[in-house]
Amino acid sequence: MGVEIIPDRRVSSRREVDDNTERMSAGNPEADHILGGGFPSNSINIIMGHPGSGKTIFAEQLIFHNASDDRPILYFTTLSEPLEKVVRYLQGFGFFDETKLGTQVIYEDVGPQLAKEGAGALIPLLHAAIKTLSPKVIVIDSFKAVHDLAPSAAERRRMVYEMTALLTAYGTTAFLLGEYTEEDILLYPEFAVADGIVELSRRRLGNRDERYFRVYKLRGSRYLEGAHAFRITSSGLDVYPRLVSPRMPEGYEPATERISTGIQGLDEMLDGGLWRGTTTLLAGPSGAGKTTIGLQFALEGARCGEPTLYMNFQENPTQLIRTIRALGGDPEQAQAHGLDLVYASPVELQIDSIIVDMFRRIQQRGVRRLVIDALGDLASAATDPQRLHDYLYALVQHFAVSTITSVLNFETTGNTIAGHGMQNAMSYLSDNVVLLTVDGEERTRRKLRVLKTRGSAHDSRVREFAISAAGVSILE
Amino acid sequence: MQDQHPDSRVILIAERSQSVRDLQSYFLNQAGFTVEFVDDGEAALERALAIRPLLVVTEILIPKIDGLALSRRLQENPATRDIPVLVFSILAAGARASEAGAKLFLRKPLVESVFLSAVQQLIAAHPIGALEEQWASK
Repeated sequence: MGVEIIPDRRVSSRREVDDNTERMSAGNPEADHILGGGFPSNSINIIMGHPGSGKTIFAEQLIFHNASDDRPILYFTTLSEPLEKVVRYLQGFGFFDETKLGTQVIYEDVGPQLAKEGAGALIPLLHAAIKTLSPKVIVIDSFKAVHDLAPSAAERRRMVYEMTALLTAYGTTAFLLGEYTEEDILLYPEFAVADGIVELSRRRLGNRDERYFRVYKLRGSRYLEGAHAFRITSSGLDVYPRLVSPRMPEGYEPATERISTGIQGLDEMLDGGLWRGTTTLLAGPSGAGKTTIGLQFALEGARCGEPTLYMNFQENPTQLIRTIRALGGDPEQAQAHGLDLVYASPVELQIDSIIVDMFRRIQQRGVRRLVIDALGDLASAATDPQRLHDYLYALVQHFAVSTITSVLNFETTGNTIAGHGMQNAMSYLSDNVVLLTVDGEERTRRKLRVLKTRGSAHDSRVREFAISAAGVSILE
Repeated sequence: MQDQHPDSRVILIAERSQSVRDLQSYFLNQAGFTVEFVDDGEAALERALAIRPLLVVTEILIPKIDGLALSRRLQENPATRDIPVLVFSILAAGARASEAGAKLFLRKPLVESVFLSAVQQLIAAHPIGALEEQWASK
């Protein structure tokens, strides 16, 4: 009996299409999502970034995730950091597994040999390692340090050419780490031969740092472009893929069901409540009642058994629970019926991490109602106005496609809606706009006015409302 | 006139990349085979006739006669049709290799275990001289 030919049933024409590139996970689901499923197997990839940007941690997370008994992973440390230092700090991470060291993950310090013999020594070292270890992954940390050892540009090119020829001939996935800058991409020959280039960057912002993960190039892959935020935690890199607008289904039909705001008089002004899946901008100055109306909307969701998310950036859950009680609500019961009160500090977090956390909760709990209190806080977590605008646009589109009914609170500086750039943008993006005002000398008078409803008639009169232990009520 | 190779465990390889050659040579030698390399399809045909290797391994992208044509020509010639052909190429060409009469197609790059296993399987399944013995016994 003969050996069968490996079937290739994809295409019978002269040119056969190679559309099933195997992928190697980065050991991080979010990074894999950005990379279009991971790094192509048998590719050469550069992980670039300044010292302290997270390159080594990213590579180590990847290798420990992919380590297995079949073929080992080889980690060459060169002239940037001694091996002892690399391994010492590695032990603080959750992905580190000591039992894999020396068998599945092999660290080799080739720094002394490279220092003695020059950059050219790397090629015989790689040859020997391939022949004796058959590694499925090879990491060179730092490759730039090896590159810098070469005495001339011609030597550097020759070394990169020989290394590429070897790594292409042999079935291994290579990661070349280096303290490269964006300018180096045009100067260093390794960038021309790399199949993938990922940059990790860090930007100082006041008392905190913002870190970004960006794919510059990934051959044969549909990757997510742009800067994706990440944090370094004890688990490794915690990456937050940039939110992009969902693809609208062609036959997309808005929901035709109305839902209650939890305030009878407001429902009447809205011609029977909010259309499910719409976004409502609730704008007004401090003390006008935005949080109260938002909570009333959220409590109504819980009363109807709808999973409801209340994202808050000002009051922690304890303070919110007190407010709910003051409105005559039962916070424990509401939480048991699906109300999720979430507090996030916009000072400590990037907008990306807040949004990713919000979407995780939405997906995990099948959220139907959502309140963001308030957009201005979200804006303070975004350093780039364009990034904020793109995020808000994508958010509203996601809510519409998923028929999540949302209320977005926005604090104005006075009793007017005009003059705020972001507010103007949000008015345009929102289906409904409700403006709250507050005035009065002897007693506080709170009023609201429905400025806009999309696809619905509404009562456009200014109406006074009161907040009491019975909740919000629209006065005659 | 056959110039029988002194080593009966020779594998003929048509391959131009020096890096691939180095790896093939190293791993096949380790496994107990002798390797002879040629640069192009014409030389491969000539040497196959002359030394009757256990196996021909060929890249598709080789000069003069490409790897697929080489496979066809080896199959067409009664003197070489029992030499199994392994097409080992950078191209995704499994179906075309099959049409050309190759017994096995492997896509580059080289992974030692996969490559050696394929070579050993092919040699075990297609012992050289088996056809001649069959004909002689009839």
